Amino acid sequence: MTPPSDTLNQRLRLARDRLATGLITAGGIGVLLAVLAIAVFLLWETLPLLRLGDTLALAKLTPLAWGTLKAAFYALLFAVPLALGAAMYSALFMSTRLRHRLKPTLEMMEAIPGVVVGFIAGLIIAPWVERHLAGTLLLVIGLPLSALVAGTIWHHLGTRLQRTLPLSWAGLWLVPWFVLMIALAFWVTPLLEQQLPEDDLRRFLDKQWGIDYATRNAMIVGVAMGFAVIPSIYALAEDALADVPKSLLEGAQALGATRWQALWKVALPTAGPGLFSAVMIGAGRAVGETMIVLMASGNTALFSASPFEGMRSISAAIAIELPEAAPGGLTYHLLILAALALFVFTFLVNTLAEAVRQRLRRRYRRLEGHP
Amino acid sequence: MIQHLAKNRDEAWPWLSAASVALSLLMLAALVSLLVVRGLGHFWPAPIEEVTLADGQVIAGHAVREAPLPDRPGHERLYYTANRDLDGALWQWVALDTIQTRSTPVELVLLDRASWGDFIGRLVAVVMPNERLEGEAAWQALQQHLNQRNTVANGAPSRAASGDSYVPGDTYLIVESVEGRQRQQPLHVIHRAQRPNAMSMGEKIQTWGSAVWRFLSQGPRAANTGGGVWPAIFGTVLMVLLMSLLVTPFGVLAAIYLNEIAHQGRLTRLVRIGVRNLAGVPSIVYGVFGLGVFVYGIGGSLDEWFFSDTLPSPTFGTGGLLWASLTLALLTLPVVIVATEEGLARIPDAQREGALALGATRLEMLTRIVLPMAAPAMLTGVILAVARAAGEVAPLMLVGVAKLAPQMPLDGEFPYLHLERKFMHLGYHIFDTAFHGEDVQAALPLVYATALLLVLIVLVLNLTAIFLRHHLRRQRGN
Repeated sequence: MTPPSDTLNQRLRLARDRLATGLITAGGIGVLLAVLAIAVFLLWETLPLLRLGDTLALAKLTPLAWGTLKAAFYALLFAVPLALGAAMYSALFMSTRLRHRLKPTLEMMEAIPGVVVGFIAGLIIAPWVERHLAGTLLLVIGLPLSALVAGTIWHHLGTRLQRTLPLSWAGLWLVPWFVLMIALAFWVTPLLEQQLPEDDLRRFLDKQWGIDYATRNAMIVGVAMGFAVIPSIYALAEDALADVPKSLLEGAQALGATRWQALWKVALPTAGPGLFSAVMIGAGRAVGETMIVLMASGNTALFSASPFEGMRSISAAIAIELPEAAPGGLTYHLLILAALALFVFTFLVNTLAEAVRQRLRRRYRRLEGHP
Repeated sequence: MIQHLAKNRDEAWPWLSAASVALSLLMLAALVSLLVVRGLGHFWPAPIEEVTLADGQVIAGHAVREAPLPDRPGHERLYYTANRDLDGALWQWVALDTIQTRSTPVELVLLDRASWGDFIGRLVAVVMPNERLEGEAAWQALQQHLNQRNTVANGAPSRAASGDSYVPGDTYLIVESVEGRQRQQPLHVIHRAQRPNAMSMGEKIQTWGSAVWRFLSQGPRAANTGGGVWPAIFGTVLMVLLMSLLVTPFGVLAAIYLNEIAHQGRLTRLVRIGVRNLAGVPSIVYGVFGLGVFVYGIGGSLDEWFFSDTLPSPTFGTGGLLWASLTLALLTLPVVIVATEEGLARIPDAQREGALALGATRLEMLTRIVLPMAAPAMLTGVILAVARAAGEVAPLMLVGVAKLAPQMPLDGEFPYLHLERKFMHLGYHIFDTAFHGEDVQAALPLVYATALLLVLIVLVLNLTAIFLRHHLRRQRGN
């Protein structure tokens, strides 16, 4: 090989390298700018609203904002206790084998498309709950109570049975117990309902307190959207709890704390910010979810906090009205303003959650003795 | 007993937390099994009951479900009685205490017709130009005719089924509903004929299999309440394919830039957090962006420049396949970037330094060492992106999905791939059929089946990604 061709070759390689680096840089920055363009576009398209200066038009958005917050509130009301409870259980009590299975299972739950959840909630569960309202409400109190009953029975079982049905697998073997309890609840409720003067809870609510019951209401939305939000809250909360340095828990238990005391007094305060950011992420998802609210809420723009009445959320309004709105018209700009509000809200909430998580990670590293 | 627990919180709380795991699992299991049972059960040839009521009325149909009576104690049952041309309705509620006799006569037939939907009743005769068959012979002849046609025309009626007008010289059937009203049906409007009550288990399984196949391979009929979902499957797959073609190069490019080339300072960290957070921005916001920028902005300009002769009817200035793919590509970009970056960060720096020390340029180091090692992570990212895109409906409602697309976006006409056409999508099909259909009760089984199909697609994609990631982590010893 002769030196000149070698240097030529070398120069070619270098030139190619420089070209490729330039291209990657340009492409990378281009992609990031495209992403940035979303924010710019939303801002740009809401500017005409300032010129119009029509403050009355903003009043159209208030019921939508209310509906969004209401739906998110009921979803979190359902999802947060369940997701945090599940996270605590799986980080501290669950057997490792079950835990390794549970995480992907809940990831599957997260992957179920919103349109399917919305369809089941709006068309199947909503009419069914309307017919079995009393039984459903009974479940809200009955299921936690039945878990306690199961715990009590378990404590009185023999050691052999306790070993075949250990607490570390309770997340699994409580499922058939719940099926049994749900069946029992729906068998009992007609008998309970006969004690009411009206023979039917819905009519009773209406007559006694004037509470309307809409088939598709906030309660249904809360359960359906809670179902969609549980996995993301669970995943982050479980990470935060599982990453609590083992030395802390072991230290607490060595000082005589029970497992639950160690969790309550040591793990929870340490992982607190992580749990907070998990709930924030869940809130962000609940606020932006479209299909579930669209299909399960009845889409009536109401100002009512009642769990038995529907609402209309920002995202649902955008999905329905924007394709029909004339570009450049007032409705169009208003809806884009609504989208901007969603964007800013979720972006801020997620950034806050991420910042909290980063700080928590640093704290863990400090606690484990790495400065 | 409960007091004991209440006093001793240490023993009560673990049970409550275990209960929340159990409840989550129960809900997931209930949802999936509901979809499986109702989605697949619809295709099963259910028995046809002949019911005599107290007032002497006779009806025949599939029992669908029961509900308590609204005005007095007791239950009523919903029957799918078909025969919309005779009764004006497909369904009939029957109070259980008015039922005198129930039977399942083997000779009841279920005809799937091109117009008026199904027919349930008895086959009286098959009238051919030169002969008239009755009874069992008629059934044999009908089966023979249908089989012959199915082998020739692949299941579709031989003639463009233009209503049930009778043409002299054609073969026709004389059918009779269970209460004795007769009708003539030309043979060419009949898609299929079944005698569910006379079927053996094997025949039922065969019928079920072919019904599932028809659901997957045929287009919708009767305003989406019948037929199959093939155009929706096709549209979903095509859109997702286009999207992954768009998102993979750009996502990988951005990830390489962020991780390998950009100066790792404060700004890069901020950008990284920003990209991560974009994954949490609601999908409908991307839809708004797609509508405003792609459809009205770019599409509108394209129309003015190249398609001005067809204006004001828009070509690219309305939702279409291209805009939907672009919007979803933007939506899934963070997923790909984050997954690829994770893979890149996992590669030890020693590998990079080793390559550079041996005289490789940065490009060679990237293409020969880093990218092959990060390939499974990229693949995971793309699969996750596809899974997310396949289930996403809200942004599509703004940028180009249609309830019934007259033309497929891919056909034999130049330029073969029609990026400006609207397309059908499984998720939107569910939403539209369930909420905007005329007869929701009739559409419900198909919606269940479509939902099951969509969930299966998404779950299989996710499982693949989870498996890949798991495999990857184990390989890297993390």
